[in-house]
Amino acid sequence: MDSPSPIEIRNLSKTYRLGFLMNRQVRALQSLDLSLMPGQVYGLLGPNGAGKSTTIKILLNLVQPSEGEARLFGLPPSDREARRRVGYVPENPAPYEYLTGREFVTLSGRLNGLSGKELDDRVSEVLGMVQMTRAANLQIRRYSKGMVQRVALAQALVSKPALLILDEPTSGLDPVGRRQIRDLILEERHRGTTVLFCTHIIPDVEALCDRVAVLVGGRRVREGSVAELVSAQTTHVEMTVEGLPLEHIQAMGITLEMARPLENRVLLHVRESDAQPLLKHVLEQGGRVTQLHPARFSLEELFLRALEEAKQGPVGGEIS
Amino acid sequence: MGPFIALALNGFREARRNRVTLLVAIFALAMLMSTTLVLEITVGTFDRVITDVGLGAMSLMLVLLAIFLSSGLISREIERRTIFLMVSKPLSRGAFLVGRLAGNMLTVTVLQLLMAALFFAMMSFYESPISPAHLAAVGMLWFELWVLSAVGFLMSSFSSQMVSAFVTVSVYFAGHLSSDIYKLASKSESGAIQALGKAVYYVLPDLSRFNYRPHATYYAPVTSSELLSAAAYGMAFTGVLVALAVVLFNRRDFR
Ligand SMILES: Nc1ncnc2c1ncn2[C@@H]1O[C@H](COP(=O)(O)OP(=O)(O)O)[C@@H](O)[C@H]1O
Ligand SMILES: [Mg+2]
Repeated sequence: MDSPSPIEIRNLSKTYRLGFLMNRQVRALQSLDLSLMPGQVYGLLGPNGAGKSTTIKILLNLVQPSEGEARLFGLPPSDREARRRVGYVPENPAPYEYLTGREFVTLSGRLNGLSGKELDDRVSEVLGMVQMTRAANLQIRRYSKGMVQRVALAQALVSKPALLILDEPTSGLDPVGRRQIRDLILEERHRGTTVLFCTHIIPDVEALCDRVAVLVGGRRVREGSVAELVSAQTTHVEMTVEGLPLEHIQAMGITLEMARPLENRVLLHVRESDAQPLLKHVLEQGGRVTQLHPARFSLEELFLRALEEAKQGPVGGEIS
Repeated sequence: MGPFIALALNGFREARRNRVTLLVAIFALAMLMSTTLVLEITVGTFDRVITDVGLGAMSLMLVLLAIFLSSGLISREIERRTIFLMVSKPLSRGAFLVGRLAGNMLTVTVLQLLMAALFFAMMSFYESPISPAHLAAVGMLWFELWVLSAVGFLMSSFSSQMVSAFVTVSVYFAGHLSSDIYKLASKSESGAIQALGKAVYYVLPDLSRFNYRPHATYYAPVTSSELLSAAAYGMAFTGVLVALAVVLFNRRDFR
């Protein structure tokens, strides 16, 4: 019997009721399915309002789903034993400002059932991991945003969680801060920790994730490994031609998706089906093909395309 | 140390680092000390005056403090979004709430002990006799503070600090009048008014049951059965309010 998946989400929906009479409804999440394997770093990618935070809050028992279910290690999020194995950093984390970083991380350890020397040692260890040893005895009200984020990460790591859930861990940080958080996530992945994080920052997904789900308007519009998603979009070929001016190539009667003359060569994008005829013409006319490879769509293009598609179809959002 | 105790002790630490609590504490102690200033003008009734002013000042300061602290207990956590890091921990919401209230009562209790110590020190300094009624007045105030804190706390679990504080202050005044309302209504001819009086009496805490300051002022006797029943009443009322807070809090979304 294999161990239960760290996160299993089935047909999850959430409708918020708003307004004084609770008569306005916002559909934040619709029929989401999600499953994580142990040790995976999984990204939830989506624009603002896509339902990323809602998903995460349901996993932490902060929000009750309207429909469907979420499981942490096979247990419902309301089960304390399930949450004991999870470290969570909310969006714009707000630890108690009147405490020092060390005091807050210690409190978090106590709430996770740690105590005594084991707790003290672990607190020092995680503060070191997030490079907050020097500022550990300063009140959190004096911290910069990056420092708060790192202390929040330390309080999540203090209990050695098997699963880390991070809501926009790098947004609002400067490049150095972002780099530090990324490195910490990678370190945790090496330790075998499963990580779920949500973001709207595409380079973070590319740098960190094994798999990604793209959410738009409360719906999952793409899911797969980063490589899969990107290669599924590969329908073009990029070709570099030397020894032929662009005008000659244009005269060949083949649709060029993109043509960029460079110093002594031309960079071309053509549809896959046009690649063979173009190659033939170029060689016949004495040109040299110095490079030929499938044109990779970046995750960003994929993301923008998914957004575009989602706009045409029915999406969530306010329904009354 | 269990999670619950950790939360309660942290609440006490929060209060110690809160400027308002500190200021109120210093002000209250100063006010108690200044009761000695009335010494010269009222030599004849000195024992009564020191009791009256001392206990009155203590009660007023602690009631204000209890309302201020309890009404912000949960609402501030929600406003400042600190709640996300707490409620997501492996801790039931009930334990979180009760831990927060316990921390708050720890603060209130420590301040009350400080004020009581100062009050009794002054009484013995002026060789003013201390009667069982004095102890009853201080002890019963503690139960009143539990009830008021529980009201502020329940309100603060679903409304802002302003609203919570306003409601709690209103409950304080109405609660001291609730037995009078009951008596007045029961004399009425109309059955409806009698029923209304009864309803008001059972919904509002009867705070006059905790007021032993007149007994202390006049050195009147107090019976332990009366004290016990008032104490049990206070804790039962608190228990119901806390249970209600837990039920409401358990179903709530934090978004
Ligand atoms: N506190 C809230 N009040 C009202 N609507 C909300 C609240 N939080 C989220 N929503 C709505 O739920 C939807 C999803 O929001 P959220 O899960 O926060 O998205 P994301 O984290 O991807 O930006 C949005 O349409 C948003 O307007
Ligand atoms: Mg969000």
